[in-house]
This record gives sequence, structure tokens and C-alpha cells, in this order.
Amino acid sequence: MDPVFFYRNPETPHARGGDLHGLRIAIQPNISVAGWPTEAGSKALVDFTALEDATVVQRLRRAGASVCGSTRMSEFGFGLQDSKAGEALRQQTADAELVMDLMGESRLAASRAAVCGFKPSYGLVSRFGLIGLIPSMECCGMLSARLRSIRDILKAVAGQDELDFSLPDEETPDFSRRDIDPREATIGVIAEAQDTLPTEQQEMFRASLDELKEAGFSLRDVSLPDFSLFSVVHRIIGSVEASSCAGRYDSVRYGHREPGARNWNDMYLLSRGAAFGPLLKSYLFQGAFFQFERYDAYEDACRIRARLLADMQRLASQADFLVLPAGNCAASGALPTLAGTYTQFASTVFANVTGQPALYLPPASDAAHPGFQLAGPRLSDALLLAMGEHILNIRQGGK
Amino acid sequence: MEFEAVIGLEIHVELNCATKMFCDCPNRPGDEPNVNTCPICLWFPGAIPRFSQEALEKASLLCLGLGAELQPRSAFDQKVYYYPDLPKGYQLSQAHLPLSRGGAIDIVDEEGNPKTIRIHHIHMEEDVARLVHEMEGRLPISLVDFNRAGVPLVEIVTEPDFRAPHEAMEFLRALRTQVRSVGSSECSMENGTMRVDANISIRPRGTTQMSTKVEVKNMNSIRHVGDAIAYEIGRQSAAVQAGEAVVLHTRLWDPDRKATLPMRAKFEGPCVPDPAVPAIELSPDWIEELRAHLPEMPAAKAERFAAQYALTADEARSLSSDPEVAGYFEALIEQGTAPRTAAHWLTTQLVPAVRDRRQELGSSPVTPARLAALLRMLAQDEINANAAREVLVQLFDSSEAPEAIVSARGFRQVSDPTALDSLIDKVLEAQPAAVADVQSGRGKAMGFLIGQVMQASGGKANPKVIRELLTRKLDATS
Repeated sequence: MDPVFFYRNPETPHARGGDLHGLRIAIQPNISVAGWPTEAGSKALVDFTALEDATVVQRLRRAGASVCGSTRMSEFGFGLQDSKAGEALRQQTADAELVMDLMGESRLAASRAAVCGFKPSYGLVSRFGLIGLIPSMECCGMLSARLRSIRDILKAVAGQDELDFSLPDEETPDFSRRDIDPREATIGVIAEAQDTLPTEQQEMFRASLDELKEAGFSLRDVSLPDFSLFSVVHRIIGSVEASSCAGRYDSVRYGHREPGARNWNDMYLLSRGAAFGPLLKSYLFQGAFFQFERYDAYEDACRIRARLLADMQRLASQADFLVLPAGNCAASGALPTLAGTYTQFASTVFANVTGQPALYLPPASDAAHPGFQLAGPRLSDALLLAMGEHILNIRQGGK
Repeated sequence: MEFEAVIGLEIHVELNCATKMFCDCPNRPGDEPNVNTCPICLWFPGAIPRFSQEALEKASLLCLGLGAELQPRSAFDQKVYYYPDLPKGYQLSQAHLPLSRGGAIDIVDEEGNPKTIRIHHIHMEEDVARLVHEMEGRLPISLVDFNRAGVPLVEIVTEPDFRAPHEAMEFLRALRTQVRSVGSSECSMENGTMRVDANISIRPRGTTQMSTKVEVKNMNSIRHVGDAIAYEIGRQSAAVQAGEAVVLHTRLWDPDRKATLPMRAKFEGPCVPDPAVPAIELSPDWIEELRAHLPEMPAAKAERFAAQYALTADEARSLSSDPEVAGYFEALIEQGTAPRTAAHWLTTQLVPAVRDRRQELGSSPVTPARLAALLRMLAQDEINANAAREVLVQLFDSSEAPEAIVSARGFRQVSDPTALDSLIDKVLEAQPAAVADVQSGRGKAMGFLIGQVMQASGGKANPKVIRELLTRKLDATS
């Protein structure tokens, strides 16, 4: 068993030309490629083979990339406990990876592998062919050591798709490279985002702020008193959507079927009971609880989500970008719990709730600067990537 | 104690769209099982629903046709339940933000008084797969047909305005007529394109309390709806008289036993907003453009027919309820047929004849132009009514012009007095008793004599001329 890859593409890629020519991209087995085993890390999809290519896969190939395989993932991409995201980059068996970002997985996996990790704006990349869990929060994230590759990938995959009507009717932004003038960019620092950080990480975060100041950006303290509610809202809405999404895994046409059932109802219960892992099962239980017993709490969460969105828009009038801590990829114990998982992603989950783009920048190779996260308003993806490139350039002695 | 019933209806109408609601699979009910399926309507992992524009237009037209107010914003929810007819564990339906609110249909109650039945709201939803229960030897098995999964439906939910089975039946007939007029569905209960659930409760007459209701399903004709409601009112009244409580549950109508039988506790699953189907936002411009496509509705058409063509209210109503009949009627008038003649021949002759032959009016060989030519000959006394009826029968089987059929088969009526004189003389000679009756003022015998002359002419004589000649001869001899 390959420790990193779940499936390797047996075909050797042939030259195609295009922006992504020669780029080896690893995906996850929840992204459909016709004929590939596509189990999304779950026994509920064991032996399931995708019927069609996901739109992202089609577009990557059209741009000349070679999709080299899929890496092991946590069940339905939720959390990082069983995920090998970033490992193929570390091994140099891939140049970039697509990683589902439900609550910050692409950014935290990037932090684990010390590469760049990017979560695009919600609605910018087609979800056709992606086996999801939290449709209103998740999107396809990108990992690479080079921001240039992430920009090229985003340019290749972003935009309207006649197979995904859920993409808003918006013009696709211009992804061509642009220059950043630090004197014209204000970066907001959310005081409340640092509240729950351990002392050591608070110090690292202050070092990141110093780096930005030295680069010539003006920093501005901004306030978002309800920052801690991003996790709460994500946990309620996310679990409800997950409960609905996982409803189709009934073992009838694919996936694990537990023997010994006396009727179809029994078969559903036994098979679902045996298929889902402990972390996902508690998430689905929680979602079903809010669906069946506490719908009012779910409605409250939706209202709070709208308010948080408005709060973020207010911050966008005070600062062009936001800087946030990286998140905490070391926190999880042997047995992952929901509470522990949400603690890990406390700094990243905001972008999934609001749908805005967020970028993780890794520490400098000489360890002079720690890693941190940048975010911008929805559809500011190109500018945000340009910011990242500007900062990495300075680290390498450029201007 | 005397009880009164409080009844509300929930009517599912299958829209006659070319495709399903969230994918491009054909919506063809009669096909072999499981041929019209794809990863979307089978809800395979990674599939994303694509809401059909045609379903939105047909559903919205239906709402406008029922006088409902289209909502500027509506959205789909997930109705969560686990059952083999629903492979994704939830049904896409509009539980919180329906497509339209309000609307009404006017009916006539049992006493003949006009009554308005209000519509609470109309929402869209997808149909689920069809389960077929069979026996394999001695083993009961259930088969699933996904052709129906994802077929576009609307659900029309009325206010609890009905008090009697008759009113529910009248409402359903009027609803069917109106929906057919806008062209969104055939609304056939027999074919399952219209399915009706009735919510029935009873209360002491004169009170306004809302009692526990019972839901009744599985009626496959409008008459069964009436029968089931009548049965359920009787059953609940007897139960309450006996001191039993009515509990909320669902019952099935059994047409053989003519009774409702308990099925299950009424299930109300949760409904959460669906994150995959975008919310539907209708602009005032879009709605007005759609309204411009709305055909004239039956009630308005009946009023216009009565005024414009001097028809009775009954004639106008029977001509306007079926858009095909109404269109045929106006085509006849355009061809020069007098409105009363057109109305009479259409409703008493052509429509029954088409129905007997299991044809559709629109595709029948008796086109408005051919029937109008026939009726023109009748109006100009070239043929009599008997002959016209016979020619009409021939028009179904022959492509010849009516004029040609009349000439070839000798249907042209005889109006020449000299040709009729000798026939009349013979009849008068053979029927002295009738002659005496007429001369003593008994009018009925005149009709008998005309009939005799007509028979002697082989049905070709002009009855008006016969009457004139007879009157003249009998006056002269008396």
C-alpha cells in the first residue's frame, strides 16, 4: 500500500502544451476522474468508480497538466487526521495538489508541508464531480511550493460551468499577474482572532506582523467581536449539510454493505453504521439532531452567518486585506473529536463561512519568518495571490 | 350533535415538460422502466442538480393561471426522509419559500350558490421514483423505476375552505380545466398526472374550532375523491359520537371496499434549505412577459363568448372549458358559421363523435373548414339536418369535400313542390285518421304527416316545404 497515494495514474502523460504544460498535479479521491477509484476516504464509497470527469479535471488536462494520481484523504475531506495532503509535494512526486477545503484543510495541510495553500472564493470554481460534504462551505483548494503554479491552476479551472448552475452569474476575474504597491495597501489585524492562540503562536504571529510592516504595508487594528462564532456557525450548518449529503450512502448501488440485514431499513442502518468512521459519524449525528430536533438553532446559525458576512464586509471598507494566524496543525490527539478538530481550524474556518479567498504563506526557508494567513474580500483572488508573490519575492531579496 | 366537515386539498400536478426538473433526462411516463436516468436523477456522488428553465416557466404559468401571486424570491429545501424511492435521502421541495402565494378558484356549491376556494400557496418539487410491488413466487418483492425520479411537479395547497365532497369535486374539475388551458399539464388522475391528498376534520356545526385532521390518499379519480371524503366524514363523525378521539394519521382510499384504511402515522420530516440549487429570483419584467403568454382563462372566455356570440351562460361555459373545443368553435365562426349553429353542432354532434372514435378534436379529419362547408349547405337549405348528420359521419372516413359527398350520395334535399305534390297526395290518402285529427285542430298529427312524407321521400324532402304544402292542401279540403 502506497503511504501517500491512494491511486496513481498508470498512463504516462503526453505533451499537450498550454499554461500548465508539464505540471504534475495530484488530486484527492473525492474529485471524479472517469474510471478512477473514487472513494472519498470513506468505506461508504468503497470500490466506487467515477463515471465522468469533474470539471476541474477536464480543465486541468485541457491546460496541459498531467493529473498524476490521488492522495489519501480523511473521510469526505473532513479534517486532516487521515489526510496525506502536501506529502506528494514534500516527496516531489507532484508539483501541485488539489485539496478539498471544508474548514481550512488546504491551508492547514500547506502549513504542515511548509508550502503555499490557497482557498479560492466560493463560487469561482465548479463543484461538478466533487464529492462533497458541506456544499455551502467547501471548495477546491490548491497547494504548491510556487504561487505562480497556484495562479496558473486557478486561471485554468475558474469560471462559469454549464454543469454547475450553483456558480453565481459573475464575470470571471482577471488572473494575470499584477504588481502590488505596499504604500497603497492596508492590512487589517483582527484583534479577536488572536484571543485563543497559545502564547508561542501569539509571538509567531507578532513576528509576521513585523515582516509585513518591514515590507512597507500599513497595518490597522480592526475588530470583529464575534470572531469565535465562525466555528459555532460552521459546526451547526456544516453538520446539517453533511447529514443531508451523506444521506445518499445507503449501500444499495455502491459502497460497503453489511451482511445480515432482514429488510431494507435494517440494511440501511447496519451498512451506514459500519461504513462511517467515528469522527464523521458524530458529525452526522449532530447534523441529524439539528435537522430533526433543533431546527430553530439551525435557523439561528443561518442568521448569525448572514451577520458575520456583513461584519466581514464592514472590515473590507477598513482594510484591503486581513492577516490571520495560520491555524494549529499539531493539536489533534490520537482519537480525533469534533471539538478537537474545530480547535485545529479555529483560524481558518472564517473563510469557509463567508466564502472569501484565503492564502497560507509558509515560513521563510531560513526560518527568519513564520508562516501566516492572508485573506481578502470575495473575488479578490488575483490580488491576494499577487500579495503573496510580492511578500515571497521580498524574502528572496527582490523588491 | 350535528357535525360539519373542514376539508383542505393538496394537489400534486405533474408538469408536461420535455425533461426532468434537475437534469436533461426525458420526462416520458410510459417508457420502459429505468431508461430515462442519469447520474443526476440517480444522485450519484459528485452530481449537481441543474434546475430546468422550462419547469420554472410551466410552473409559473400555472400559478398565474390560478390567479396566484408569484413570489420575487423562492428556494428549494430538502425534505429529509429515508425510503427506497428516494436515493439521496431527501426530496427537493419548496417548504419555506414557495413559488407563489394566494390565488383562488370559483365554484358552485351543492345549493347552487357561488363559492370561492382560496389557494394558500403553490410550490415546486421533484417527483420520487415509482415503487412496484410484486410477487416472485411466494416472496413479495419491490421494484424501483427511476424514470419518474426528478419529474417536475407543482403542489397546490388550498385553504381548508371545503365543507362537502361536492365542493372538492367541483374544485378539482375547475382546476383541471384551468391548468389544461394554460398548457402546463394534462391533469389526469387516471394517469397519475394529478394526485390529490385530502385533509379532513370535523367539528360541531356552528363552531370555528380546528380539530385534528386525517390525511387521505390514493384516490385515482375525481369521483373517488368525493367518495373518500364522504366516507371519512362519516367515519370521523361516528368515532366522535362514540367518544373516541381522532388522531393525526394518514389513510388510504380502497376503491374496492369503498373505505379508507389506516396507513401510518403522518410523517413530518425536517426541511432544510438546499445549498446546491440557487434561489429563484423572478423580476417583475419576467413575470409580466410570462403573463403576456397566458392564454385567456375559461371563466373570462365564457363571459366573452356569451357577450360576443349571444350564447346562453351554459353554452358559453361548455364551449370554453376545453381550450381545443373553444378554439374549434371560434374557427367555425371565422369560416362563416352562425354562432348558435356552431355551438349546437359542436357540442351535440362533433365532440361526442370524436370521443366515440377515440380521436382528438385538433387532429380529427373533420377540420373546421369541412364542418363549416357542411353547415353552410344546411343553412342554405341545400340539405336537411338528417342528411347533414349523415354527411358528418362520412366526413370521418372520407377525404372528399362535403359538397362532393352530398352530390355523390344524393343527399341534396328536394324543395321542388311539383316533385313533392304526388308524395303528399299519397300520404294524405293513406292516413285519413291523421288528416281528420289535423282538421279538428290536433297539432301533433301534423308532425306525423310530415314524417310520413319525409319517409316516402327517402329522407331528402325539405321539411319546411312539406309543411307549407300540407298546410295549403288541408286548408283547401277542410
